[in-house]
Amino acid sequence: MDACVNEATGASALPNPLRSLPGTEEFAELYETHSKAVYYLALRFLADPQKAEDVTHDVFLKVYRKFGEFRGDSSIRTWLYRITINHCQNLKQSWHNRNMVTTADDTVWNTTAASAASPLRALETKELGERIQTTLAALPEEYRLLLLLIADNELSYEEVATLTEQTPDAVRGKLHRARKAFAAHFAKTA
Amino acid sequence: MKHESKQRSQEQEQLAASSAQQTNTREFATTEELLRHDAAQVEVPPAVADRLAQSLRNEPQPERSWWQRWLKR
Repeated sequence: MDACVNEATGASALPNPLRSLPGTEEFAELYETHSKAVYYLALRFLADPQKAEDVTHDVFLKVYRKFGEFRGDSSIRTWLYRITINHCQNLKQSWHNRNMVTTADDTVWNTTAASAASPLRALETKELGERIQTTLAALPEEYRLLLLLIADNELSYEEVATLTEQTPDAVRGKLHRARKAFAAHFAKTA
Repeated sequence: MKHESKQRSQEQEQLAASSAQQTNTREFATTEELLRHDAAQVEVPPAVADRLAQSLRNEPQPERSWWQRWLKR
């Protein structure tokens, strides 16, 4: 099959191998629609491209097996993220650093001078992704996850609250601190 | 005059370099905007879809429901 050009982006796109399998058209479309979001969440949460690939593969394989059990009481994206978050957290727990104790303290972030409302200025270079990864990796896991989820335009505060098992008000409060912490650390990576 | 034109040329070079740097600098109003920009640059490695397709080929075929078996009689 020849590579086709994506009409929306003008970028060439490889044909989806999932479409070559009989009876998986709907699943292939699901993958095309949501795989980027799943991969990005795993990548920035785990800070490991190989593990992010593993998670993305495992998440969609589980979805393929369990799609009949999806009750539709949440959006597909929320369901996918739920599976992704569980996979990522299971991976982190099984790592050799399970017994490492973090000394990260929330109050550290609250005493920084950076304002959550300050614009983030950055050179648009390939290093920007590395700076973002370094910054996210330095944040408490809870802040990292909140920022990654809320950045997804398809999720509401209520859905983020459900995914992180807290109230929407708690999400809003923690987000303010998370943004501040991110800005403070991001500035240090320049 | 020669000195002036050389100085002007150096000033123009500095301005050009500064402008070039400025055009590559972006401002993001929020962390979310920065992350969305980052997310837009990240592509899923094609190997994931290949690997997934292989895994699906290895999946056991689902059992047909009783009515499917009945219709196929």
